[in-house]
Amino acid sequence: MSWNLVLYGFINTALALLVSPLFISLIKKVKAYAQGRVGPPILQTYYQLYKLFKKERVYSYQTSFIIRLTPYLSLAFMMVASLSVPLVFIPAADPGLGNIILFLYLMVMSRFFMALSGLDAGSSFGGMGSSREMTLSAIIEPVIIIVFGALAYVLQTTSLFDMFGQVRENSFLSNPSLILTGISLFIILIVETSRIPVDNPETHLELTMIHEAMTLEYSGPDLALIELSHALKQTLLMGVLLNIVAPWGLASEPAAGGIAVAFLAFVIKGSLLAVGVGIFESLMAKFRLFRVPGLFMLAFFFSFITVIFKFLA
Amino acid sequence: MLENIPLNDILKILLVLVLVTSSLVLWQRSLTSLFKTYALQSLLVALVAMVFFINDGHLTLLFIALLTLFGKVFLIPRILNRILLQMNIRRDLEFRFLYPVSSLIVSILLIFGVYQVFSNLMGEVMPDRLFFLGAVIGVSMALMGMMVIFSRKKMLTKIVGYLSMENGAILFGLFVAELPFILEILVLIDLVILVLLVTVLAFGIDSTIEDFHPRFTPLGEWFKKK
Amino acid sequence: MIAGLLLGGGFLLLAAALTGIVFNHGSKKVWQGVLWLVIAAALCLLIGSLQIFFGNPLDISLWNIASGLDIAFHLDRLASFFVIIISLISLCVAVYSLGYNNHISSNERANLLSAFMAVFILSMIGVVASANTFSLIFFWEIMALSSFFLMMNDYQESFTQRAGIYYFVLTQLSTVFLMLMAVVMYIQNGSFALSLSGASSVIQSLVFVLAFLAFGIKAGIIPLHKWLPYAHSASPSNVSALMSGVMLKVAIYGLVRFLMDVLSPEMWWGVGILLFGAISALLGVIYALKEHDLKTLLAFHSIENIGIILMGIGLYVIFGLYGLDTLAMLALGSALFHSLNHAIFKSLLFMTAGSVVIAVGDRNIEKMGGLIKLMPYTSVIFLVGAVSISALPPFNGFMSELMLFESFFQSFSLAESSIKILLFSVLAILALTSALAAACFVKAFGTVFLAMPRSQEAASAKEVSKSMIIGPAILAVACLVLGLFAVQIFSVAGYSFDLPDMSLVGLVLVIFGVLVFGMVRLFSPRKSRRSETWACGYVRPTPRFEYTASGFAEPLFQIFRLIYRTRHYNERSYEDNQQAIFKQGKSAIHTIKFFDEYIYLPVAGLFGRISRFISRLQDVDLGSHILYSFITVLLVILAARWLW
Repeated sequence: MSWNLVLYGFINTALALLVSPLFISLIKKVKAYAQGRVGPPILQTYYQLYKLFKKERVYSYQTSFIIRLTPYLSLAFMMVASLSVPLVFIPAADPGLGNIILFLYLMVMSRFFMALSGLDAGSSFGGMGSSREMTLSAIIEPVIIIVFGALAYVLQTTSLFDMFGQVRENSFLSNPSLILTGISLFIILIVETSRIPVDNPETHLELTMIHEAMTLEYSGPDLALIELSHALKQTLLMGVLLNIVAPWGLASEPAAGGIAVAFLAFVIKGSLLAVGVGIFESLMAKFRLFRVPGLFMLAFFFSFITVIFKFLA
Repeated sequence: MLENIPLNDILKILLVLVLVTSSLVLWQRSLTSLFKTYALQSLLVALVAMVFFINDGHLTLLFIALLTLFGKVFLIPRILNRILLQMNIRRDLEFRFLYPVSSLIVSILLIFGVYQVFSNLMGEVMPDRLFFLGAVIGVSMALMGMMVIFSRKKMLTKIVGYLSMENGAILFGLFVAELPFILEILVLIDLVILVLLVTVLAFGIDSTIEDFHPRFTPLGEWFKKK
Repeated sequence: MIAGLLLGGGFLLLAAALTGIVFNHGSKKVWQGVLWLVIAAALCLLIGSLQIFFGNPLDISLWNIASGLDIAFHLDRLASFFVIIISLISLCVAVYSLGYNNHISSNERANLLSAFMAVFILSMIGVVASANTFSLIFFWEIMALSSFFLMMNDYQESFTQRAGIYYFVLTQLSTVFLMLMAVVMYIQNGSFALSLSGASSVIQSLVFVLAFLAFGIKAGIIPLHKWLPYAHSASPSNVSALMSGVMLKVAIYGLVRFLMDVLSPEMWWGVGILLFGAISALLGVIYALKEHDLKTLLAFHSIENIGIILMGIGLYVIFGLYGLDTLAMLALGSALFHSLNHAIFKSLLFMTAGSVVIAVGDRNIEKMGGLIKLMPYTSVIFLVGAVSISALPPFNGFMSELMLFESFFQSFSLAESSIKILLFSVLAILALTSALAAACFVKAFGTVFLAMPRSQEAASAKEVSKSMIIGPAILAVACLVLGLFAVQIFSVAGYSFDLPDMSLVGLVLVIFGVLVFGMVRLFSPRKSRRSETWACGYVRPTPRFEYTASGFAEPLFQIFRLIYRTRHYNERSYEDNQQAIFKQGKSAIHTIKFFDEYIYLPVAGLFGRISRFISRLQDVDLGSHILYSFITVLLVILAARWLW
């Protein structure tokens, strides 16, 4: 195991964890402005996490070890997944960590345990959240795999490290079908991070929640860990989207200057994307649950067309 | 025909976006966003024609680009929006034969089928890869527009579908056929559309085809009495 | 020495079987003795087959009945791999049965059960190891019959009787196809050898179709799968574990053996196998979503996983025909590795399901709940099985599905575009299947183990005996080890695939987990408080507040309603003619059993009509029988006249 890889592991994970709450707050701020409010300060999510760490935990009588274990598992799996997405620099060697399927399934593992913990407390809200979450994840999964397959097909590799490296070398104009993949990845981002129009991350009306319903029974540090892992998932998916469509600034070796520039570039690009997501959310209303597969079908259509485009042109 | 590499790429990007808009026309339920998508689609087709003009210099291409721009990006959507204001409906929710999900699956199969059919003809008629791409997308767009026509019930959506078909035909013509012919046919088609729109305007509020029947039968009675 | 080990194992099994049958006088010690013999035999076989797998092939000729007719074994890598699967699973099932057989109705039945289990295991090893078609059919029939007897353990129940009829008819049908295939091969070869060299393409296709049908019925490929849900749910759980985990793999072995060594494949074979695999996978998991009988749910998941294995085999054929040999090996590797993994985690799941069913007394998951606190060990093992079958890292299911996904993704080096579109569509189906499997197991685990018990029986459940925990626990550990060290195991076996190193992922996972735990311990207060679940203000939540399994699957049911095709029945009866005073009514929602109503029952009806017609012909007096003989003699004379 080379030092390059270990360094990459530390830097990537630390930076991803650092930046994630910022993007969440940014989206909330944009939505607040769209609604005519001032909204919470940019650093609010950091304050929130700090506050939650200091509070006590409350467990229900009906719960078992699942609900106690899930926050740690969820965050740990998401942190391992963050090793698959180079955010600031691409490491030299790849012991298979960049495999795109591994990345996907690490996120699915974290979602599996979240869904189980929703059922653990024996409440209707948790069960409903789990049911809808697993339904939507089942329907979005073929879309994600086809999008990744289209990416693998266009860029001729299944490792995210190689994909980012390739896109960095040639501009995306040589592969215009990557625009379609970018749109599909954006739709996947909306779905996986439970944003409008799929789910409302700010509602606390039980009948309209999907993701929030599963986290209803958490409190204190557990809730902080769950929120952090959710934010980290968003950052990683944003990282994939950004580094495929707009890879400028990504370094290829761990020089201090290069990393600082890459970090700044990622924060700027990420903030722009977060603002874009906020605006997108403010433009729409939440879809009825059974209309959401129609949205996924659109993403599916785009990725299939990407593949057909590669035949045509 | 096109040696310029950046233009080649720009054309590909535009074609990709045209396909995106055409799938959105299949999928959307809100009539205002349908009209905006149609306007965007016509804008993209006009840009394709413009790119061709910059490359070749044929004046007919410029003419087509400007005609599409004024007629379809500004004029027709404005007429459609005016009609929409007079109606009570804002969305088209009913589907017949094909729902959005299944129509998207059918479009994927369609595009692939068209690709297979054309790839047999490729050597003789279409020497250039880009021609091939444009031809396939043009025909697919036309067929997707046809799908909109039969799968929706409201008249306005059917009109937008027909207009989308026409955009597909223009795209096909731009890439493959001789241009002056297409020009004549285009003007004719636009006139037909205007007549249709004015008819709908005259009949006003009702928007489904079934509703036209009660309007026509009094005319029949009047003729019979004579 | 190795031959000695293997033969020794085989004879131990035979001895076990005879003990169980001969000494059947209602004592517990008999079946315990039988099971210990089986455990010893399984250990011998495991060690022997591991040595062959990492060493050299072995040929044993056991019994020369007549010239050209002999029972011979040929154990190369493929066969020994499957013997490893069989022996490992049999070992754990035997350990589990030491506790499970206590819950069988009488000791005589338990003795017979254990004896037939030994015969079953022996016959499966015979099928896998057989070197010619004669021994294949010989052991295949023994396998079919012994599994039938095992399955009919509770023969008084009407459900078991129905399941038995389905199973018997279909398994005999598969034997018929196998025999037809052997006949064709004999005509071609002149002997019972397992080879088909120099045969024309028509003969090859015929043999392939017959083999596919024969092995497909036994493997449970849709539409030949009808016996599977019934049989696996009606039989005792240790038998289900053996059948689902191992017998299905024996059928897969047959298919792979024929495709690898005997036949020279063609493109439509590969595409056909791929499509059947995709349909089996998707329909298997969709029907599993609607099931509330725990063992039927697991049986449908077996169909789904067999579909996934078939997809790998289909890809192997397709890539082989295009000359992409590394990719073909990757696809075949994924199919075989998934066979091993599925055998492990499916037997694990059936065994723990058996423990749960014993503890609660009912197979219906809507009556269970809250078992995680009453049966902690069983629930942890079931959780490991559920996570493995949903293909989640770092367990073994993930590795084999990853290999399959990789083979799909790397197919961009194929030239022809229509095959690529087909592969992309099948890839989408595979992804949908895998996600639906995860959803189904969240439902299964959540409804069975989590929250509060939904019935009195579930509230009084107790943890099962030690051997019923140790058996599945061995398999759970195997799941984890195979998942983490898959790449290392592959390189020891001599295969190098370009796959992620899961041991590294596991290490990083542990590091991060410890880090997070440490941070939380340092920075946040330790204490925690208990309270009631939030139920909008109700202070005393009851199990009625929990989400039911039907409710959990309902959104998916709505999305896939075209496949389920429910029919609503409403019957109303009134007191008066004007239908104003309601007397009584009945309302029901039925899922159409598509294959029952449109394929199986019409075919069965047709055969019923033909047999009734023939029996009417036979049910006549003496004079008419003489008339039949007269006509037959006339026809023979005429035929002889015209043929000379």
